[in-house]
Formats: sequence, structure tokens, C-alpha cells
Amino acid sequence: MFVERGVLAAETGKAVDEASEPLVLLVEDEPLIRLATADALRFSGFRVVEAANGDEAVALLRSGVRPHIVFTDVRMPGETDGLTLLSFVAENAPFARVFVTSAHLTPDEAARAGLFIQKPYPAERVAEMFKAAIRENDSTN
Amino acid sequence: MTAQTDNAAECVLLVETDVLARFPLADYLRECGYKVLEASTTDEAVSLLNEPSLPVSVALIDARAAGAISGFALAHRIRGERPGIDVVLAGSTADAVDSASEICADGPALAKPYERTQVLDLIKRLRAARDRQS
Repeated sequence: MFVERGVLAAETGKAVDEASEPLVLLVEDEPLIRLATADALRFSGFRVVEAANGDEAVALLRSGVRPHIVFTDVRMPGETDGLTLLSFVAENAPFARVFVTSAHLTPDEAARAGLFIQKPYPAERVAEMFKAAIRENDSTN
Repeated sequence: MTAQTDNAAECVLLVETDVLARFPLADYLRECGYKVLEASTTDEAVSLLNEPSLPVSVALIDARAAGAISGFALAHRIRGERPGIDVVLAGSTADAVDSASEICADGPALAKPYERTQVLDLIKRLRAARDRQS
């Protein structure tokens, strides 16, 4: 049972989301990968908010978007890479579980990455991992 | 929340650099039954348009979208190269004043900030007109 609703305040400043689907904030700068992943997650029952880079993800979180899951690439253009976003979420959106993805991580990046999913990934498997993480969160809260 | 429509096959390419404007509009159009491709820049839009498995019906383009080419240039390119796609340019009043001739020449224009029901109505009207032509 997914108990927390996504609260989407990006446009009007008020909550606009009444859906019960678990919410994923997907942060990926490659549009075709982002689209394929978002499609697969939606097909698996998630609601997906797409961010084209870490800066957009920060803007969404600051606007009031409350995802269950943040799924982020590591290397992206802009001021906020995936690992910086990981720190931002830990401080400002601790309710969200963060999964990091990349084709390759340096040892230093790997040490900071936490929950890591190697690229390329089967999106259906990723959806199962997210559902398990949310169930785990629900059972501990 | 919103009534589903019979437009499940319709694919909308939304080119908008401001994520706080893009996301709620994309979310709304999905709730209305459209498949929505989100592009944060015109470069991303070109990548998506070049993907043959993505049959875009409507391109909604912010005139000031970031990227190697402007939103106006992207709209012009799509109209020239992909006549099957309905193109809608979106911009503020200032954009319209700055580029009135381009907007007039390039057909339907939409004022920003987006009024979601207005966007939906415009998309429906464009596709209905396209259906009548075919």
C-alpha cells in the first residue's frame, strides 16, 4: 500500500495531485533514455515527473513536488550533478529514496552513490526495485 | 480527475525550458489521454523528432525555448520538414510584440503562462481540422 501522495504544487502553489500512484522524480539528460524509462515506469503504475537535469530536479523539489523515489543520472549538465542532487534530497526531501544510475562511476563516486543501478538497465526491473523500496518505507513508517 | 478522451494515439511534443511550466502541462495532457514527449530544449526536441518510433501529432513549442536553435526556428523547421505535425507556438505578449510577423506567419499561437484547458482545446481543434482534411 502506497500511503504517501505526491503533492504537485509546481504551477499554482497549491496541491494539484489527487492520484494515489507512487511518484517518481526521474532525472536524466538524455531525452530518449528519459522517455523510455518514464514510459516503462508509467506502464508499471508509477506517476513520473521528468527532469532534464539536476537543476530542474531541485526546482521541482523546491516547488513542493514530493516524490517517493528520485531516480537520477550522475553526469548531467548544469550546476547540480546526480551526487549533488543526492545530498540535496537527503537534506531537503528525506522522505524520498534516491537511486543513482550511470554507465560508469569512479571509485569516489561509487562510494557516495548509495543505491546504484548500472546503465543500461531494464526499466521493468527498476520498477520492481522501486516498488520494493516503497513497500520497505511503508513498513518502517 | 479529468475525463479521459479518445485520443490515446495522439502524441504531443512539448518543448518548454521552464520545468515548472512544462511538468504540470504535460501531466494534465497525459491525464487527458495524450502521450506527451517532454523536451527541455530544442536540441532535445530534435532528438525526439528524429526517432522514427515516435509519431508526433502536435508540437507545442515555447518561442523562447533554450537550445542551439530558437523555438521559432524549430517551429519553422517542423512545418517545412514534417507537414503532418500541427505546430503551436507559445509565448508571452512581449514575445508576440517582438516577433509579431513570425507568429502571424507561423499560425496558431498560445499565450503564456499556459492555460491548460485552452491548450487542450487548441490541440483538439487542430486535430479535428486535420481529420476533416484527410
